[in-house]
Amino acid sequence: MAIDLKAVEQLATDQSSLKAAAGLAKPAKWSGIGGSPDGALIWGECAGSGANPYRVMADLRDLGNKCTCPSRKFPCKHVLGLLWLNAEAVVPFAPADTPAWVSDWLGRRRGTSPAKPANAVTPPGEKDLRAARAVEPETVEDPKDVARREAQAARRNEETERAIFDALDALEQWVGDQLRLGLSGFIDDATARCRRIAARLVDGKAAVLAGRIDELPSRLLALAAADRPRGAVVELGKLVLLARAFRATPRDAEIRRAVATSETRETVLADPQAPRVNGHWEVLAEQVQTRRDGLVSQTTWLLNLAASGPRFAMLLDFFPASAGRRGSVFTPGERFQGELVFYPSQQPLRALLVRRDAAEDILAPEWPAPDAALSHALTRPLLAEPWTIEIPLLLPQGRIAHDDSGGNWWQAADGTTSLPVAGNTEGLLAGTKLTRTAAIWSGNRLTILAAQSPWGRIGGHD
Amino acid sequence: MTETAGAEEIFEAMGAVVTRWTMGATAASAAPFWRTALGDDPVEAELRLLALSGQFLGATVTVEAPSALRVLPDIPPLALPTVPEPLRPLVRRMLAASKEAASRTELVHFLAARGWTTHPADWMPDASDEDAPDVYAAWRDWSAFAAAGATTRRQTSDQLTTENWEDFWPAARKAALIGLRRRDPSAARALLEAKLDGENADARLRLISLLSERLSDDDVAFLEGLVANDRAPKVKALATSMLARLGHRPAAGEDIAELTGFFSVKTKGLLRRSRVIEIERPKTPAQWQRRKALFDGTDLMSFSGALGLSPQDLIAAWDWNVDPAADAGLIKLIAETGTDAQLAQAAGIVSENDATGLIVALAPRLEPAERARFAAASLRAHGIGFEMAQMIAGPAARLDDPLSAPSGAKLLAEIRRDDAKPSDHVAEFHALGLLASQTAAQQTLQRLTAAGLLQADPRLDMLRLNAALDDKGETT
Repeated sequence: MAIDLKAVEQLATDQSSLKAAAGLAKPAKWSGIGGSPDGALIWGECAGSGANPYRVMADLRDLGNKCTCPSRKFPCKHVLGLLWLNAEAVVPFAPADTPAWVSDWLGRRRGTSPAKPANAVTPPGEKDLRAARAVEPETVEDPKDVARREAQAARRNEETERAIFDALDALEQWVGDQLRLGLSGFIDDATARCRRIAARLVDGKAAVLAGRIDELPSRLLALAAADRPRGAVVELGKLVLLARAFRATPRDAEIRRAVATSETRETVLADPQAPRVNGHWEVLAEQVQTRRDGLVSQTTWLLNLAASGPRFAMLLDFFPASAGRRGSVFTPGERFQGELVFYPSQQPLRALLVRRDAAEDILAPEWPAPDAALSHALTRPLLAEPWTIEIPLLLPQGRIAHDDSGGNWWQAADGTTSLPVAGNTEGLLAGTKLTRTAAIWSGNRLTILAAQSPWGRIGGHD
Repeated sequence: MTETAGAEEIFEAMGAVVTRWTMGATAASAAPFWRTALGDDPVEAELRLLALSGQFLGATVTVEAPSALRVLPDIPPLALPTVPEPLRPLVRRMLAASKEAASRTELVHFLAARGWTTHPADWMPDASDEDAPDVYAAWRDWSAFAAAGATTRRQTSDQLTTENWEDFWPAARKAALIGLRRRDPSAARALLEAKLDGENADARLRLISLLSERLSDDDVAFLEGLVANDRAPKVKALATSMLARLGHRPAAGEDIAELTGFFSVKTKGLLRRSRVIEIERPKTPAQWQRRKALFDGTDLMSFSGALGLSPQDLIAAWDWNVDPAADAGLIKLIAETGTDAQLAQAAGIVSENDATGLIVALAPRLEPAERARFAAASLRAHGIGFEMAQMIAGPAARLDDPLSAPSGAKLLAEIRRDDAKPSDHVAEFHALGLLASQTAAQQTLQRLTAAGLLQADPRLDMLRLNAALDDKGETT
């Protein structure tokens, strides 16, 4: 089944989409390109601005298509790019088994609604393939302009920093007020109080910190009532530590990431200090959470199956809740070979996917052994980043146990440690030995991402 | 001061620090060991104390587990293997797509009929899931003791006896009893006689229903005892219907005369005179209701006897497809109170008379091979759809070439239409996947994709599973 570029041109909503698609019609932007043996379906993964690539698929019979990007344009530039690759045979679309995510999309499609050629509404004259292909000449910049722009950027940076300092002053003042007013009152009224200071922090350009404070009440409420005063001290104490750390080294990328903004994908990719790890990864779990600030966070946890190196990687993307439900990029349990680049950090964790090679049935089924003794693994990250709230852990052999009030615990096989487990542990998770467990330790609760057992892999429950 | 002593001292002070902050009081004075670090400014001292305390409490204090933690026993392996790893994602997807419990049940029964079970991470039955295949009994009981707060399995043997009856959890007991009934019907009945009194009415009903396997005259005395003595009306009713199946009819009451008033036996034909039942159509809605109620209150033997016929003659003389409600009433009588031979006779006649809907009511009491035979016959001769055929055939059909039946040709024509939609005929494709043998499923897939369906079309999931899953089930 073949399409030609004319179809791509007709499908595009406007010239800028077409232009962007031309830029994406390059092999380097894509991985996992494939097609169904009958040639009707094509799919691929396109690197976007986030940590995860976008999954793009199209049905060539009616040009129906789908992409996991948050763009409001339909079709988006990634779909157009994929169709372009196909139309011009830029890369081979090797016949392959249809991936589950493509089948899922097919299953959700309702009726054939052949993608209408966009020229029904837009005169074709407004879009032009040749113009889209044209490479714009590089303009030579006047050195004076460059200097002026750099000066402007530096001034903006200073202003931002000053705004953050002011916001952090307000934060510390607020923390002091909570102590003075009593933590029992704070616990009762946490949502409203946190919302107010979070709004102040957003104004003060400390958006990441604001998001963290917005989520503080839900973390607090997840604890047993008797444990909440302790939890409040820990949470507020970490805020003070983070504020002080920022004041001491406001240009430190890692601390800035925890307070204000993260580097862009391009910055991380261009940073020679950012560690790159090429290895075998297993997708542990994907956590999708709608936050109070209206953003949806999509966190994909990966386990490094190699004997050494960073044990975990976290791919984090945000998109507006209004963009609707997004498809997952990974299936829990899937393993792949690929290259990640980690945001520079004392404990590399957050990462971007640079390249993913085709999925393989690879490797021994066993996960690596935990890198450190459990007590060490629970606390070591706090030495480097005392404000950390989520610590990924690889636990040794253990088992789920229950207390009389219905609470769940992970119990080490050697009986030395019991950790409280968040969420339910019904079914297989509680009915077998867990040879390895990947989990997140946060504020005295363990969230199980996945486990290995004599029955094979078990996904965690939310 | 050693480090350990320091940590203990800090730990002890933390109680007072947190309590003071909870009340809104200052706490710096409760941590004299950090006096130097906290400094002289009282506001700053509280913040520094907060940072230090937070780090200490976050890093060193974890919630202590209660001393009595309960660990559930291992989920036991089942008698059938779990589906091969490469097929698990497909099974998972199909289970997730099954919005109703009935379609999940259908899938697990299909798997069991082919000799496989689900992986426990993908699906496990609830303790109360009576519809789950018997092979899952051990998992149902595991769920039951997980919910009940038990920690150990009591059962030590697979052989059910009066002595170890209490040691079995309900699902395992039911499975053991079914096994025993197949091997030694009398022993199973004797076990029930001894233990039934201790069970509640619902449990008694479920246990007695197991007697329909290898039901024989040996069971009559026991069933009559139940009819006379059991406390629960529904148990009595079941025992009565089982007795009727064995040809033991209760004394016919006045109602039966009223019911036969709706029917009369006529003769027809000149040379070969044969009898035919003529149906007097009820005239008012109230009469329709009354006739239905009368059907519900009788049994096949009494009804035929009141008409002066044997049950076999009644079935042979019935005028099918004239009054569907009367047909349904008779079929219900046969299904509930007819002997196996009468049931087979009725199924044969109904199948020939193009009254396929009625076969569905009889099907649960037919052997799997018979069900498959009737489904295949109805597909070919009467052009029923695959969904209906699957209801007749049940989970253990292995039809050789269902797609060549009239509904197959119709389906192929439909998917070739220009206005065909990807969501068309979902249930038909699914039923086709359940009906076909493994080889037929493979061939059907080829023909459907040749006809223009995508190989990855989710409507073909059931066919794909069937085609890829080795058939290790028992065939009869």
